[in-house]
Amino acid sequence: MDLQLMRRNWLARLLLERLIRLIWLVPLAMAGLFTLVSLAPVDPVQAYVGARVAQVGPEQRAAIAEAWGLNAPAPERFWLWLSHLAAGDFGTSITYNAPVLDLIAQRAGASLALIGTAFFLALALGFSLGLLAAAMRGRWPDRLIRGLAVVLSASPGFWIAILLISVFAVGLGWLPACCATPPGLTAAETSLGARLTHLILPAVTVSVVGISALILHSRARAVAFLESPAARHLAAHGASRLRLAFRYGARHALGPALTVHLAGAGELVGGSVLAETIFAWPGLGQATVRAATGADAPLLLGIALATLLFVFCGNLLADIAARLADPRLREMR
Amino acid sequence: MSLKTLKGLVPAALLALALAPPLQAGPVPPLVLAVGGEPEGGFDPVLGWGRYGNPLFQATLLRFNTDLSLVGDLATSWSLSDDRRTWTIKLRQDAKFSDGTALTAEDVAFTFNTARDAGGLVDMKILREARVVAPDTVELELTRPQITFTSHLVGLGIVPKARYGADYARHPVGAGPFRMVEWRPGEQLVVEPNPYWHGGTIPFPRVSFVFGAEAAAIALAQTGAVQVAAVPPAGSDAPPAGMRTLHVQSVDNRGVMFPMVAAGGKTAEGKPIGNDVTADPAIRRALNQLLDRKALVDLALEGHGRPAHGPADGLPWDQPAAALPDADPIAAAVTLEAAGWIDRDGDGLREKDGREARFTLVYPASDSLRQALALGVAEQAKAVGIAIEPAGKSWDDIDNVMHADAVLFGWGAHDPSEIFALHHGDFAGVAYYNPGYYKNPAVDAHLDAAQAAPDFKAALPDWQAAQWDGRTGFGARGDAAWAWLVNIDHNYWVSDCLDLGPLQIEPHGHGYPITQGLQGWTWTCN
Repeated sequence: MDLQLMRRNWLARLLLERLIRLIWLVPLAMAGLFTLVSLAPVDPVQAYVGARVAQVGPEQRAAIAEAWGLNAPAPERFWLWLSHLAAGDFGTSITYNAPVLDLIAQRAGASLALIGTAFFLALALGFSLGLLAAAMRGRWPDRLIRGLAVVLSASPGFWIAILLISVFAVGLGWLPACCATPPGLTAAETSLGARLTHLILPAVTVSVVGISALILHSRARAVAFLESPAARHLAAHGASRLRLAFRYGARHALGPALTVHLAGAGELVGGSVLAETIFAWPGLGQATVRAATGADAPLLLGIALATLLFVFCGNLLADIAARLADPRLREMR
Repeated sequence: MSLKTLKGLVPAALLALALAPPLQAGPVPPLVLAVGGEPEGGFDPVLGWGRYGNPLFQATLLRFNTDLSLVGDLATSWSLSDDRRTWTIKLRQDAKFSDGTALTAEDVAFTFNTARDAGGLVDMKILREARVVAPDTVELELTRPQITFTSHLVGLGIVPKARYGADYARHPVGAGPFRMVEWRPGEQLVVEPNPYWHGGTIPFPRVSFVFGAEAAAIALAQTGAVQVAAVPPAGSDAPPAGMRTLHVQSVDNRGVMFPMVAAGGKTAEGKPIGNDVTADPAIRRALNQLLDRKALVDLALEGHGRPAHGPADGLPWDQPAAALPDADPIAAAVTLEAAGWIDRDGDGLREKDGREARFTLVYPASDSLRQALALGVAEQAKAVGIAIEPAGKSWDDIDNVMHADAVLFGWGAHDPSEIFALHHGDFAGVAYYNPGYYKNPAVDAHLDAAQAAPDFKAALPDWQAAQWDGRTGFGARGDAAWAWLVNIDHNYWVSDCLDLGPLQIEPHGHGYPITQGLQGWTWTCN
């Protein structure tokens, strides 16, 4: 293949490569997860019956297990699930008593809004703080920003959430303490503004996961640029360090920053599970927790598949973004 | 516009959005409750919705009054045949579903027959058939006498035969006090009064249930967004401005289950049965006399609870005479000495026939309340020379050891079938019912007599006799099959403007049971 063709086809090659990876990755991940769920020391019927043990006798328990198809051996159930999946049927959630695909469709929007907002918030904040720190290298803003990055990366998400709630919701009363909409109103009655105000605290909580890595990465890249001969040359002509960092350093730092950030999409998903639980956010994270405690295998597998595709796409986008930002990568394997 | 003005505007705009005027119709505001209780599977009574508290959308045949006596709701009269196997229920004629169609005997029979066959949380295997015998009369035929079937008359909301289908759980239609406006799963349920309800008018134009973690409920209450919030005991006594704390009594109880037979047996699956120490009635009785339950309430519940002496304290089928005076180490020591448990070697631990008074008390490791109780019990038992070793385990492990070790269980339902399941010899070793293999023919006879009673009220003396009939019983005065410890108070913050009327003793499950009398709540401010 001559150089010209390779250059044009880098995207097609990358996509093909990833498609092949996906084809062996998905069944492997599903089989692994199904094994884990089957081995988990949670009896789904007991989790469903809960405190009503005295009202639900052994005969009725057998009827529940029968209705859920739990009586077949695990490999047979997995095979059944796989064959249904091939026909586009994700099965029925036992905790929610609804088709898994409906549940995911219903809840994915809320999760995507949360994760998407957090993604761009973290990118904007982390990247610009990183550049600022590089421009102010060694001075107090740099030390402050680096300090912030270290503190954020060491802070547990739930702690940050509680801090945010107690300051901005309970203390100052500026932002709502929970939920995706104001209590007492239907979806139709809720204004866009109210939805956005409800998004702020959860999104900030989720974004915290990604910010510190971004700050430190962008800073290191920009510092490397600022020390390069090109930057020294421009500085000698009177360009300020701030202008150098934000105008020219940004181009150098953006590619790696995007790569780091997109590759961390999995962490954002993890963070959203926590934030959704604390803020009563009706997304997939909340359903994941419920599915895990109820040993709801169909729902758990469905969500895992959706998450896997999401993270996979995040990583793919990271690779594409890196190649767009740095043409040198397109030719390398 | 300068940057400074812009900066000032942002929080102001956010504030304005957050405080957008709430929906207001007349002087009574819409209610918002944060008491949990979301049924993930939806609002289908046939699958178990409404068994712990108000079914909201559906009406039931009977209801429990605040004092747990039975009153009719859809039923105008109800009677049990002489062979105690057939209920005949006459229905009111003015009941309508929230879509305006009439509720008929067909709907009732359909609901009962569907619930019998469904693989949900309604165990109605004992129902042979429900049938319509007249336009206003339904017969429910059982396979054998069982007075606790009454709980289905109270608990099972009636669904419309014509509207019942796969999406019913998400779009319920019933003849109850409310109808659904919107349900956003995991988030919020919004309901409004059902204009066709036969029970009167409800003053609130709308009631919303906010779901989510306890912490979210607390934060909402602190920002004044909800009128009722279920809160944990810690910090419950510091309600936010405009709210008061309500500690509601419950039979949400915790107690120690004792293995009742000598060690050596094995279940069909090979799990060990029996414990030579707890099989001695003197040990069990002495612990019941010794335990300072008030101290346990203070220790584990910050004082928000009641000492528990039986599985149904304060309910109509409770027998207070079955309890022994507690917090009495001298009486406990006398009991132990009389039975031959004596500390001969002076190590602080009693022995009998060369066996030390030592046993393991298992609790679910994930439950901090039960851990605190187990440690408290162990500490108190030292005082009379009994060594109790608390051990936290997973439910899976508890399953394996619960026939041979004492276990800290929790129960509490508005249903005497619990008493039956926990103590009847036929249930020995069945699921979690009677893990200690307790069997006393006299107690079984009382329990069977209760099940064969001509009506719910007539069964009460038999339930009580099973606990203590003057000679024997499963209560502490008799066989002391359990050492009950505490009943947990359920704590709520309630708006100062809201009158909840009389409250019942709540069952197991903190939060949603407070809505039992929701249709009778009133707003006292203007």
